[in-house]
Amino acid sequence: MARFVQQMVIIFILILFLAALPTMISINMEEKSIQWSFSQFPAAVSDFISQLSQGNLGTYQLGLQERSIAQDIGDNFITSLIIMFFGVVIAVFISVIFGIFLSRLRMTKIFRMMMNVLSTIPDFILIVLAMLLAIKIYKWTGIRVISLRPDGGALNIWFPTLLIAVAPTLYMFKLIAEKYYQTSGEDYIRTAVAKGMNVHTINFQHVFKNIEPFIIADLVKVISLAIGNLFIVEYILNVSGITKFIFQSTEIQPIAIGLISMLFISFIVYLSIRLLIYLFKRGFIYE
Amino acid sequence: MNKLQQINYSLYIGILFVAILLFLCLFGPMLAPHSMTTTLEVQYKDGGVIAPPLAPFESWAYPLGTDQWGYDILSMILNGLRYTVLIAVVVTMIKMILGTVIGMYIGTWKKVPHWIVAFENAWSYVPLFIIVYFFLLPINNATLLEPGTLITYFIIIMSLLSVPSIVSSVRKKSSEVYKSDFIKASTTLGAKKSRIIWHHIFPQLKESLLVMFILEIVYVITIMGQLALVNIFIGGTIVRFDPLIYLSVTKELSGLVGQARGNIYGNTHILIIPLIVLLFTTISFSLLASGLKNKFQADYQRTPWIKTGNEPKIAPNRKNYNKKKSDKKLNASHLTFMALLAAFILAGTFVIYTSETKVGVKQESKASYDIAFQMDEDGRFNVQSDILIKNESEDSWNDIMFFYPAEQRNINIEEIKIDKQSAAYEIKNETLKIIIPEKNKKARKHKVKIQYSFEMTKDSMNVLADWYPAAAVYQNGKWSVEKKDYAQGPMYHSRFSDFDVQYQTPEGYRIVTSKKDDGAIEEKGSVKTKSEIAFPVVIMKDEVFVDKETTSGTHLRLFADLSAAESEDLLQQASSAIEFFNEEIGSFPYEQLDIIQSDADTTQTYPGMIVLGRDVSAHELVQSVAKSYFQSNIASNPHEHLWISEGLSSFAASHYLMMAENQSETDAFSVSLSQVDRMKEAGLGRQKSNVPLSELKDFGFISAQPALQINMMINERYELKGVDPMDVKSQYLAGFYKQYRSKEVDTTEFIQFTKSYFSVPSGYFNNWLDTKASR
Repeated sequence: MARFVQQMVIIFILILFLAALPTMISINMEEKSIQWSFSQFPAAVSDFISQLSQGNLGTYQLGLQERSIAQDIGDNFITSLIIMFFGVVIAVFISVIFGIFLSRLRMTKIFRMMMNVLSTIPDFILIVLAMLLAIKIYKWTGIRVISLRPDGGALNIWFPTLLIAVAPTLYMFKLIAEKYYQTSGEDYIRTAVAKGMNVHTINFQHVFKNIEPFIIADLVKVISLAIGNLFIVEYILNVSGITKFIFQSTEIQPIAIGLISMLFISFIVYLSIRLLIYLFKRGFIYE
Repeated sequence: MNKLQQINYSLYIGILFVAILLFLCLFGPMLAPHSMTTTLEVQYKDGGVIAPPLAPFESWAYPLGTDQWGYDILSMILNGLRYTVLIAVVVTMIKMILGTVIGMYIGTWKKVPHWIVAFENAWSYVPLFIIVYFFLLPINNATLLEPGTLITYFIIIMSLLSVPSIVSSVRKKSSEVYKSDFIKASTTLGAKKSRIIWHHIFPQLKESLLVMFILEIVYVITIMGQLALVNIFIGGTIVRFDPLIYLSVTKELSGLVGQARGNIYGNTHILIIPLIVLLFTTISFSLLASGLKNKFQADYQRTPWIKTGNEPKIAPNRKNYNKKKSDKKLNASHLTFMALLAAFILAGTFVIYTSETKVGVKQESKASYDIAFQMDEDGRFNVQSDILIKNESEDSWNDIMFFYPAEQRNINIEEIKIDKQSAAYEIKNETLKIIIPEKNKKARKHKVKIQYSFEMTKDSMNVLADWYPAAAVYQNGKWSVEKKDYAQGPMYHSRFSDFDVQYQTPEGYRIVTSKKDDGAIEEKGSVKTKSEIAFPVVIMKDEVFVDKETTSGTHLRLFADLSAAESEDLLQQASSAIEFFNEEIGSFPYEQLDIIQSDADTTQTYPGMIVLGRDVSAHELVQSVAKSYFQSNIASNPHEHLWISEGLSSFAASHYLMMAENQSETDAFSVSLSQVDRMKEAGLGRQKSNVPLSELKDFGFISAQPALQINMMINERYELKGVDPMDVKSQYLAGFYKQYRSKEVDTTEFIQFTKSYFSVPSGYFNNWLDTKASR
């Protein structure tokens, strides 16, 4: 628990530091050089905390309009949470299924090849290409795949979710496939094979249980990947998510609130996935 | 079939692609078909309109099309690629070295402190690109900071910020190795920590570190791409309002993608082409990494017991410890690698030899002079000039044109030989035409030997500007031989040539040339200069000089009949002008500048030499110093483009008066303003600056008019380039000089440069330049 608190404190300080950066770095016009003023950090932080203690979340810029954060944070938080949660769940599900349980099938071979090709393409290029494709599809068929309007409803959610899922899937699948290959060379697998167990049992009882710690260990990394892409996807696809507070502002208040909300989102997603894996284990592995 | 499957394709393809990338990084700018300032103008061709944005594969001149402003996409990519790859490699190198060393040492600790783990976890939670984004957001403004500063800043920030993640993964790996038995054995035998790290742990890690290095390059490029999508371009973002657009200064690949993000709905090629190149870049590195990984995996991996579906097919490469050195055979992969290396070097050499500069006007002939002259007691000169002329055009020549030194008295041509045979020649309109014999017409090089003599007045001072037959410039299929009759500016169109001059004079004569000399009077000597536009010689007797050293290291000499105070004054003014230009425009091109007073009507600037006329004003003196940059080191055809050197140097002089002597704008430009007033009073009306000199109504149109117009333009547009208009003026002059030094300019080049510098359309110049004329 102490460790958890320690980590939270470090993350919190890191977030405040990031949020204060735009006020701390400036250009020195005279000498044409970069100027650092770390002395502003305590002032910015105390300002933020005093604002917060008064129950004031502050305002943010949306285009030319200044809006109150408190008014919008609920909707934006839910939107981002939905996108993140489904994105990561899809990623974990697909990679576990194809990485372990269907790994030996011919179909997976094709899937693996596809994944290998896609994983060489950086995420942001995939995102841009996907958008180009969506627009081309609209031009050819008239079917609207995406909507760039913030009030687009479901049309505004499913495409971002899909894009968010791509990078974690690629990462997780690669990891699981590699671990699966490594694990299958271990002696306890040989013992299990020698005992005449069938492949399914070995996969469930031996392989998955030994890969699970790696999945959980890399869950943080996967969520961080998804968060990174969430920024880009929300920015490019004009989704009214939590990143709306972060871009376009240089003040500590909206940036810090945005990043802290981000932290909550990843925390919720992390816990839910842990819960899902636990349920999966309960339901399938220990009969 | 099995054998074919065992080949590690991704490794070989990766190596090939990365080699291609490195090649393009090294030679990209040389291969680029256009300069970064060239734009495609709207043209009417075969009944159709060619206008930017041009789609790819529509025009041979613009193979990948142009963007909406007419810049060639291929050239931008070839220029920008090196930034992308180089920055990524440098960042990766710094962070890998730091991360590996720190990580390995921490990995051998008995216990890792909690806070390190907590910090690592916190660090891995926030995506790196967001952290870098906040570091760059407040300062990534290209109008305020130099791209170099911003790139360095990015490299430092990016590498320091990503060290923790490298430390973390190296730490985990090395603590894993640290548990092995062989480490325990080594410790028992008395190995110290550094021995264990560098002799036992590092060798275990080196393969995975190599793979990691290459993957991290991709990672850095990815971060650059992500930043570009949120309009943070490496090297600086230029923001334009109305409409809001973001532009990359360096044209670095991810910047090109980012700035074309708006093209997702239309003219998609502007977005897709840089995106594909960026994709190619990352895929090349990824392929190399995965190839290496496959290779290492095949070499070291244990075989699985159950069917996993992803067994490596690549044949492992086993180490053979008993192999003797002599047994080593060249295998196919060695040969392929050597072939690749050879191809790389050959192609590189080919590019270097065949590439030509895209900046400036093309000149298709080249001359170098080897001249020897003797002067006798009566002032008669005997000159023997050996000229080597290279034909760099596609045509074969029938004749070679020279400018005939018609100014000199009693010229007598004694002998003219071409390629060692006596040649027919013809003197007409102050030009000398030498006919090339039939059998030598195809030759690309001609040796011309001209022996002649002339007489000099026996004054104490003789300025010989036009004393040798100078080869004309071959351009656009003809010799450019129009000679102008204006006193100002260079006499004729010439190009930068090498001179080697030997002289012999009677006793007591001093020879002054553009080269630095020690001031001693010698009867015999030789002077060599490289890449000068002309070779003037001043011969004087009984002349003394006063001299002065500027703080920037230029030696100034003044040959004049002035009082000590007056000389001091003049030298002071010249030296402060040199120091100013040295600081603001670029280093002064000559080690020594000779200022010579004469009784001519006008002041003339020659390479390393200023010949003052009568009653020289401050503006005129400073302008002639500025001409050392814009006239002596940037060639142009004076017949039509004299205004460039005159206008820019007049503008530079006024700029000096304003900035260094704190004069008001009206005072500083008073010379130009009064010239314009005089022209108005004379009722001369309007005329463009780039008309042929034969049609020119007044000299003011080619000096005062451009100076004032350039000043007005910068006052109007400076905000695009900086905060202070004075700084922008200096930057503009410096930029122009840097771009065109030792090259030839014409009006079109000037417009292209200025247009992209201040983002103005060609029509902007319409009221003082004929934008359709020439070329």
